[in-house]
Amino acid sequence: MIFRKSTKKKIVLSLWLLSFFIVLGVLLYCLYLSILIDTRFSGRRWGIPSKVYSDSTLLFPGQKVNQSLLINKLRRLEYRNVAHAPESSGEMRRGEAFVELYLRDLEMPAKRQKGFPVKIAFRNQEIENIIRKDNGAALPILELEPEKIMLFFGPERQQRQLVSIDRVPKHLIHAVLAAEDSRFFEHHGFDIRSILRAIYINIRHGTIRQGGSTLTQQLAKSYFLTPERTFARKIKELLMALTMEIKYHKHVIFEIYLNEIYLGQKGSVSINGVGEAAFFYFGKPVENLSLAEAATMAGLIKSPGLYSPYVSEAKCREHRNKVLHDMERLGYITRTQMDGASQEPVKTVGFTAYGKKAPYFVDYVSKQLPTLYSQKILSSQGLSLYTTLDSQVQEAAENALERGLARLEKTHPSLKRSHPEGKLQGVIIVMQPKTGYILAMVGGRDYSATQFNRATQARRQPGSAIKPFVYLSGLDQFTPATELSNEQKTYDVDGKSWKPHGKSSDSGKGIRMRDALARSDNLATVDLAMRVGLDRIVDTVKAFQFSTPVKPQPSLALGAYEVIPLELARAYCTFASDGVEPYPLSLKTLVDENGNVLEQRHMTIQNIISPAKAYVMSDMMRSVVTEGTAKSAKNMGITFPVAGKTGTTNEYRDAWFVGYTPDVLVLVWVGFDNGESVSAEGAVAALPIWADLIRAIPQYISGEWFTMPPGVVKEKVCSQSGQLAVERGCPEPVEEVFLEGNVPIEYCRIPEHKSGSGDAVKKWWKKLWRR
Amino acid sequence: MEAKKIRLWVSYFICFILSGCAAAVSSPSRHPAKTPSDARIEKKESREAKPRPREVASLHLTEQGQMLLERGKVDEAIGVLERAVSIYPSNGKNYYYLAEAWLRKGNVAQAREWNRLAGMYLAGDSEWSPRVYEQRGRIHVQNR
Repeated sequence: MIFRKSTKKKIVLSLWLLSFFIVLGVLLYCLYLSILIDTRFSGRRWGIPSKVYSDSTLLFPGQKVNQSLLINKLRRLEYRNVAHAPESSGEMRRGEAFVELYLRDLEMPAKRQKGFPVKIAFRNQEIENIIRKDNGAALPILELEPEKIMLFFGPERQQRQLVSIDRVPKHLIHAVLAAEDSRFFEHHGFDIRSILRAIYINIRHGTIRQGGSTLTQQLAKSYFLTPERTFARKIKELLMALTMEIKYHKHVIFEIYLNEIYLGQKGSVSINGVGEAAFFYFGKPVENLSLAEAATMAGLIKSPGLYSPYVSEAKCREHRNKVLHDMERLGYITRTQMDGASQEPVKTVGFTAYGKKAPYFVDYVSKQLPTLYSQKILSSQGLSLYTTLDSQVQEAAENALERGLARLEKTHPSLKRSHPEGKLQGVIIVMQPKTGYILAMVGGRDYSATQFNRATQARRQPGSAIKPFVYLSGLDQFTPATELSNEQKTYDVDGKSWKPHGKSSDSGKGIRMRDALARSDNLATVDLAMRVGLDRIVDTVKAFQFSTPVKPQPSLALGAYEVIPLELARAYCTFASDGVEPYPLSLKTLVDENGNVLEQRHMTIQNIISPAKAYVMSDMMRSVVTEGTAKSAKNMGITFPVAGKTGTTNEYRDAWFVGYTPDVLVLVWVGFDNGESVSAEGAVAALPIWADLIRAIPQYISGEWFTMPPGVVKEKVCSQSGQLAVERGCPEPVEEVFLEGNVPIEYCRIPEHKSGSGDAVKKWWKKLWRR
Repeated sequence: MEAKKIRLWVSYFICFILSGCAAAVSSPSRHPAKTPSDARIEKKESREAKPRPREVASLHLTEQGQMLLERGKVDEAIGVLERAVSIYPSNGKNYYYLAEAWLRKGNVAQAREWNRLAGMYLAGDSEWSPRVYEQRGRIHVQNR
């Protein structure tokens, strides 16, 4: 009896001890979970990808527009077409000669503006006027919001827009409760009724078919746990749910749930949270969702892959109506509301998968970021990077390059390559000369095939595209009217003889400097280079801040050294901006998720040459387009004043055209990565791409020419001698530009051009005043 | 020295002759007639009195930039003025305010560059030229 009593006591004690340790274990585990939850909830709850934005778009009356590019932009900005006049943010209506928009709120680092309805009327490819629809005011300028061009996703590739529970409409809350957990505000993290029902169903089927999870359990599962379905994980989920319920208020848990829940897939990116999903499915903020839309979204939670309106509209509608029915059953909505919402069709906004727009440009921008912004930070801290990119120009540039290269391959079938990485390549850089803004950058033909950014990383010989810098070096001594020798000569360079390649159209007759540049005459250019001095040319090139090494060798004058395309574009900007070289700007502002500016960059300039020299060079390069190697531009629809220079290297390895106006500069390069021949000159391979692009961006073409700065004078000169023209004597006098201190003083000496004594008097007169 | 003397005498002589003359009638040009493109350019110039649409838009931004500058929001002002330059590069007032902004940021080198451009584009403007010179003086002082 004593034995039995003591045994019983021992068993009871053991059980007590066992229970104690189990409870202690559970409590310790819950404590561990509590710390885990605390850490997660008190810290950054979600990794928000950083976003890269284009520049905002300025529209103003009188501005020329490419309507199709503008409409494409509005589509990318996710303005949705409506049949009626736009009534809410993000709506657009298109007419034959107008577009009406309800602008979204503009939220930029330096500007915040509430959205408003506006009508943009077009006439003859121009904006006729911009009228604010709510007050009838005519606007002098309108700013469209920047376009999201890339998101820095982390490895989980999730996208969400956080919303606070105050912004979530009641009917969405009710719809979620009705669809997922109607007793959420009554239970304490787990619902015994749901669990019993799930156990019954699972035993009946001999497998796990139903979870019976509450919202808290679902949150625990998606936020902390792996998705496998085991009983051990279920216990863990349960304990975690209980801990969460003990530590946090129901509303906090519900808010986190609404922001966490998986609601669909946009390409390879998962859509999480009701904020992002509202835009993804319906193109509007969550607070603007209708009852039917809210029910649709709640219905998606069960299985977004199955019930997504993008997958099956019928299934989506059926499930939405089930949610509406449950809402009515639970008393959240009336029968009339249910009937009304059930009749509505499922209308979605449509979407474009997140892609990397302007990929080479974005890579270039990423490299500008200081080292303290690692990939991990970029993919989690929701930074916003505002750039100089004009997405309309970028689209036009990508199209022009693709079309141009395809056209070349068609006309020159030998250029076709089967391997994607070996294909004919190209570069386009579009800059604003005055500001240095990089408006567009295409660093290759296909980013998916090769990410090597030829615009910023390639080192290619510029060929004749370097000649403007040679001619610039000679402007102090010579003038555009100076006659250069275009005789085939052999030069003595450091004791070695060197003979320039290439021929001249009128070899041996002499050629004016302007014509030599226009026709890209190699012999005359070398003559000039040797007269100016190679060291001087090296100094000029270095002044333009090329990072590639340059040596004083005669072939330098013909572009036999390497340049980086972006640096060449930047150097040409100097001619188009009164002699100041801009810093090529791509990243303007870096902002954290709270709108604090972390980094701000402005355009900066550096004076390289005088405005007068820049003007004379631009004027000479205008002849390249009007009568020189690029004169075919006229046939390509280029009827406004343009300055430019073609470039072709030995064996046609590189084809260039750099052309500009006072408003925009475009560089085009075509070639093979391995240096194979493109079988065409710059005027044939690169110029048509340039012309195609420039025609597509009329908003950057004012049609105006540079204002003549102080220090430049115009004089009539004899087209044959380059000396001052003799009136009634020289048969073809032409107007020429000169640096003020470098105007010719001699009258034409060609005997047949000399005339009577009147000219002798004039000659004396001019000489007198110029001495 | 000799040439100087001759110039002086010639100038006196011309003044003397012109003081008693009626307005001269210019003789027809002996140079070739203007091409249609020249004619177009002249037509364009004759329209210059009316501000171009992009000039109007640019000036609107210039005003915004100026106001931001007055409120001490220098970086924001520069951002707006950059856009103004991009719309209409010949608007010299933008360069003036950019010089002002960079001066406030203490970057004298940039201020000098923008002031130089302002001087160039506002050269014929009797209202703005003195302001540009006054600014140049301030830049010079700050540089010292």
